[in-house]
Amino acid sequence: MNILPFPCGTSATLRRAQRKVLLSALRVSGSPVILDLSGCPTLNHEGIELVLECMAQVAGRDTQLLFVAGSRANQALLEVTRIPSLVPVFNSVEEALGYPESAPGNGTNGTQDQRANPSQKLWSA
Amino acid sequence: MELGAFVVVPGGKDFTAIREVRPHDVATVEKPRPLYCSRMPIVGNDVLQSWMDRIRKLGVKSLWLTSGRPDGTVTRSELAGFAQQGVKRLLVIKLNSYAEMDLVDLVRFHCEKRNPVTEAQDARGLLGVSLLDHLALRAPEEKQEDPSAAIHSGRMAYQFSGYAKRILSANERQELVGDALTGACGMRPFGKQISEQVWVGEGVDLASSARFVGPTYIGERTVIRAGATIGPFASVERDCVVDCGTTIERSTVMPQTYLAPGLLIRDGVVDGGYLEHLGWGIVADLRPAGLGSRIPQRELRRPASCEVPHEVYAPTSKAPVWDFTSSSAATQAWLQVQL
Repeated sequence: MNILPFPCGTSATLRRAQRKVLLSALRVSGSPVILDLSGCPTLNHEGIELVLECMAQVAGRDTQLLFVAGSRANQALLEVTRIPSLVPVFNSVEEALGYPESAPGNGTNGTQDQRANPSQKLWSA
Repeated sequence: MELGAFVVVPGGKDFTAIREVRPHDVATVEKPRPLYCSRMPIVGNDVLQSWMDRIRKLGVKSLWLTSGRPDGTVTRSELAGFAQQGVKRLLVIKLNSYAEMDLVDLVRFHCEKRNPVTEAQDARGLLGVSLLDHLALRAPEEKQEDPSAAIHSGRMAYQFSGYAKRILSANERQELVGDALTGACGMRPFGKQISEQVWVGEGVDLASSARFVGPTYIGERTVIRAGATIGPFASVERDCVVDCGTTIERSTVMPQTYLAPGLLIRDGVVDGGYLEHLGWGIVADLRPAGLGSRIPQRELRRPASCEVPHEVYAPTSKAPVWDFTSSSAATQAWLQVQL
């Protein structure tokens, strides 16, 4: 399983370069990928856009994409944008590495749409 | 004057208006329990108005309003200034709760017990409603400034067993919204009912493809765009815009909030660009991601007839615009409101 950090460089140039590397890695990856947002204190519009781009990169392929939110604020923003209904989101890399075995035991936060989103079980309360 | 009524409105200097209020100190994105201004409407209702109605039943003709100190308290010396003007008994209400309290019964209890201070409380603690005799305010200044804390020996608890919620807490606020929508308390949604358990205020603009799942409330002049789903247990207060396809469930959207298209707001309180998650107790800033924002005053769909002087909140055209008169009786700003 590959663990990729989410681009959160301080300069726009650095972020662009990180973004390019990330999307290239996703394009060629055949194994599951954990995208770790822990380095980003909060997601801005660029971040949300890149999250959606990453999802688009793996769409239609066998590559499993997992997100590590890294903070409750990021979790809240991902939930608001309905991303957990499409991609599993975890609190930590350790939890993500345990997927899918860890999924049933993690409990739920009770805020996800269970009918639309089986992956909600992955969220910790 | 036998009885004087004093209401302390925590949550900022501009306590006569309910605009431009947001959780305090949200520079950090994860902060538990932001303080909401107690003047924020709840399913279109002003909690201050509900306390004023109760005070009116005591036969009191006016009350005094202040924002108090930053922590929402007033000092004993300030109240003593009013006592010197001939007020024998002071009813002090800190506007941090909605309680369906019979103030006549509270006054009767206070008189019967002959204690200098009576404080109302329920099973969860103090409700912020106190009655003080003017003699209680003559205690020495040096030890304690807080009027209720000053007279430990003479304090008597008035046990209130009726309906009460703390409105500065997002969770209890949301519980009050749910209770108001389901008739579990005396507060009712302020508007007309358009279908089962769905109420709307005046001047709303609801897209024909929007869905409303009761119980739910849409405040005055709010715009709900195509494909949005509001409810159940949702309250979108006045002057909001909920953009296309956004879903709001078990949540409150505070006045003058814009929500971007396609969002899912669940178990939260949104105030301008900030979302407080009720389950996690964190505040997320929606603005950098372009997901939500405060609608500027100038962009509101407010008709000219709704403009009121001094930006005093008047929930309807029928509601009186309060007559505010400032006082020199205390160092802090006190405004007199005719009931």
